[in-house]
Amino acid sequence: MDVHFTLNGENMSAAADSSTRLIDMLREGCGIKSVREGCGVGECGACTVLMNGDPICSCVTPAVQARGCDVTTVEGLETDGELDAIQESFVTNDAIQCGFCTPGMILTAKALLARNPSPSREEIRRSIAGNICRCTGYIPIINAIEAAAARTREENTAPL
Amino acid sequence: MNGFKYIGGRLPREDARDKARGRFLYLADLPSDALHGALLTSPLAHASVVSIDVREALELRGVRVLTFEDAPDTLYNSGEWFPGQNDHPDETLLTGHARHVGDRIALILAPDKKTAREARDLVRVEYSALPPSVELHTAEDLSQTLHCDGVRSFPGKIEYGCVDAAFSAAAHVESSTISTQKVHHAALETHAVLAVPSDNGVLEVYTPCQILFGVQHVIASILPLPLSKIRVIRTNVGGAFGGKQEVVFEPLCAWAAHKLGRAVFIDTAREETIISTRTRAAMTGTVETALDDDGRILGRRFDVTMDAGAYLTGSRKVMMAMGKKIPRLYRIPALRYDAKAVRTSTTPAGACRGYGSPQIHAVTEIHTDMICRALDFDPVEFRLKNLVHPFDRDPTGAANLGNARIIDCLERGAAAFKWAERRTPSSSGRLRRGAGFACCTHGNGYYKTIYHDVSGMSLRIMEDGSAVLRGAVHELGHAAVPAMTLIIAETTGISPDRITVTEGDSLYDKYDIGCQASRGIYVVGECARLCGERAMEKLCREAEALWDRPVRRSESGLIIGDETIPIGEAVRQIEMKRGTSIDVTVEHRPENNPGSYGVHFAQVAVDTLSGIVRVEKYLAVHDVGRAIGRNFVEGQIYGAVQMGIGMALCEDLSFDARGNPSARNFDKYHLVNAPDMPEVEIILIEEGEEGGPFGAKSIGEISTVPVAPAIVNAINRALDTELTHLPITPAVIVNALRKPAPTPI
Ligand code: FES
Ligand code: FES
Repeated sequence: MDVHFTLNGENMSAAADSSTRLIDMLREGCGIKSVREGCGVGECGACTVLMNGDPICSCVTPAVQARGCDVTTVEGLETDGELDAIQESFVTNDAIQCGFCTPGMILTAKALLARNPSPSREEIRRSIAGNICRCTGYIPIINAIEAAAARTREENTAPL
Repeated sequence: MNGFKYIGGRLPREDARDKARGRFLYLADLPSDALHGALLTSPLAHASVVSIDVREALELRGVRVLTFEDAPDTLYNSGEWFPGQNDHPDETLLTGHARHVGDRIALILAPDKKTAREARDLVRVEYSALPPSVELHTAEDLSQTLHCDGVRSFPGKIEYGCVDAAFSAAAHVESSTISTQKVHHAALETHAVLAVPSDNGVLEVYTPCQILFGVQHVIASILPLPLSKIRVIRTNVGGAFGGKQEVVFEPLCAWAAHKLGRAVFIDTAREETIISTRTRAAMTGTVETALDDDGRILGRRFDVTMDAGAYLTGSRKVMMAMGKKIPRLYRIPALRYDAKAVRTSTTPAGACRGYGSPQIHAVTEIHTDMICRALDFDPVEFRLKNLVHPFDRDPTGAANLGNARIIDCLERGAAAFKWAERRTPSSSGRLRRGAGFACCTHGNGYYKTIYHDVSGMSLRIMEDGSAVLRGAVHELGHAAVPAMTLIIAETTGISPDRITVTEGDSLYDKYDIGCQASRGIYVVGECARLCGERAMEKLCREAEALWDRPVRRSESGLIIGDETIPIGEAVRQIEMKRGTSIDVTVEHRPENNPGSYGVHFAQVAVDTLSGIVRVEKYLAVHDVGRAIGRNFVEGQIYGAVQMGIGMALCEDLSFDARGNPSARNFDKYHLVNAPDMPEVEIILIEEGEEGGPFGAKSIGEISTVPVAPAIVNAINRALDTELTHLPITPAVIVNALRKPAPTPI
């Protein structure tokens, strides 16, 4: 069967059966390679995507669940080649080493800041509890999310 | 200011943007029409295959099956990275005698992954179970059932000084027995490899590996191909931590592709990466220290047993590396290190960040705190009295310690951490607080070991004044490439965004022994620096000859007479008029292998009811000689602390009596996540190290070495316990607190 959904703002339809996982439909059916498998059991967050704005593990989500939903991957965060504030902040705060956890981490942060524009460091830590990073020790990632939040707040309050 | 333009600064990484955009592709992301290989592995720890029926699997479209019956029985050792190292070979590509859960029995190939996995499930294997061997103390007696090579264990010994005399003269002798567990590397990218038969009989092997030429060597020892026909290409690496240092699936994939004349891709799931690749080696060690009345160490004796797992792999090398660290941290007049590696029916061990250093430092640093407790010494004072000094010689005859600044690390750290105040444990309600620390050392390459150390690179300054550094650099995420870029920028004045550093491809690269032995900065980085320096020397020399005037260097180019000529223009003129390019090649052989040093301090709060430990405060002090990229160094330390806390508290790949692994995925294998990670303060001691680029030495491995003992020492101080078997899980703590008094060892 075909699953119709919105992928990064565009209408999309991809083939899936009832056993297809969302991660496989995105990677194999839609060519989205930033969604990666680190564990396949919902424990590492490398496969995180936003579904209607909420971060979910696409490795434990049936593809058919995307039907009619808004799915965002990290490819959907940039506008005309310009990176989202969180992506930019990950780059400038050394939050990226091997990069394998990065797309999932950024999407989780995106969802957090959409919900809570001024999270404390503790809230940031809790929000990324399901995203494992073996390289960075999380500290630069927490810094990056904090900085992105501050920058977004500044931009939103700056006079036009 | 340190007088450098780039060195010691904070450079963003060039690849970070692509990584943030999801455009940085790993091997499994690349399009390929290769056959997909699914591994069929043993569900039993020890068994022989009675029969294997592949008929049903072969009925699926396009399926091919290669079993152990098809594979050559050539024995190899996955930890051997150079011809002639003679690491005991006891592993084959596939086996009908399974020696651990996850051992490779067959490879099922199909046009796509789904079919390959379906076909694998249709293969019927009948096993005959054999008795597993999981205990270290019975491993030697059971060795004949596992391997028929007649080797019970692999001994190793290091000895100098009059050990027995030291112990008979001692005022005190203290002893401890400490054990550490198997740890999974947990690089987020699981293991994968692609092999492609290509033109001219060349077999291309694409792998996210750490030692390009080591992969090439092991494959050549199994396939009927010369090294020149095996091209190993390093792909983007999603973390390695030593887990991608030894070959794992590369030889099997290469053989399958060669045999079938087809491209073959093996991609693994987390379960296979946990149970079928390599682990940090578990070990148990007894250490005895002889001391004089003032608390000076007179001698140390060790008796260490290391669990190599089902195959020897590089475990013997790891075991010897452990012993060699011992005389490089404290002044020990007499040492006897007796060790043996035994094989068991568990996942093979091998290289893992620190290559034995985290294990041996867990032994010595937890023991050292116990000495202090037994004899009522302050742990800082005791160590200051015994630590090595700069330029001490290594009593085993290995390389001089170099500018070993461990005493500075400890003094600066103790002051910054307020050790004097924090050393006294406190309690409030269920919580008990305590602080602890651990010292450590690690190496910088292979100089004055039984292995050789050489790095080859070339640098070409282009006609527009940009530059390409060609070398077998292995970027694992640890910033090898941007560090090389900074070194070239500093030596040539070319801005970092105009420098490209190539990464490993065995067809084009000069020989380099790979990303191992913490040699990436001290050896490979120095090779890069020499390239930059020689290229500029050549440029100036040629310019002088061409313009027949003295030449000086400036920020914006060359000052020739009273004219400033941009580098690019000088290169163009020199190429045209003198017929030579500014392209230099350097083969660098290091002339020392100094120690890197560090001390980590931790304060923990232990919930006595649940046994849960929170690391509340953390300070890492490192003697790095000089930071090349400050942010890169910090990044290594943060990540290393995450890994070390896991080793101290929660990460554990253990095996039950039947040889079944305790974890097959991250639901049971617990990694430290963001809420459990403390803030980490960092102090760098930068006193320079001769022979390293701009005085730099290693940080990536050493930074994880002292973490576990620092935390264990803090816990033992908080609880007044003598916990010595890692990891210290909540259950271990609750159990220990239930006991009326700590059991003396
Ligand atoms: S791959 Fe989905 S959570 Fe790990
Ligand atoms: S950057 Fe490597 S896992 Fe996070």
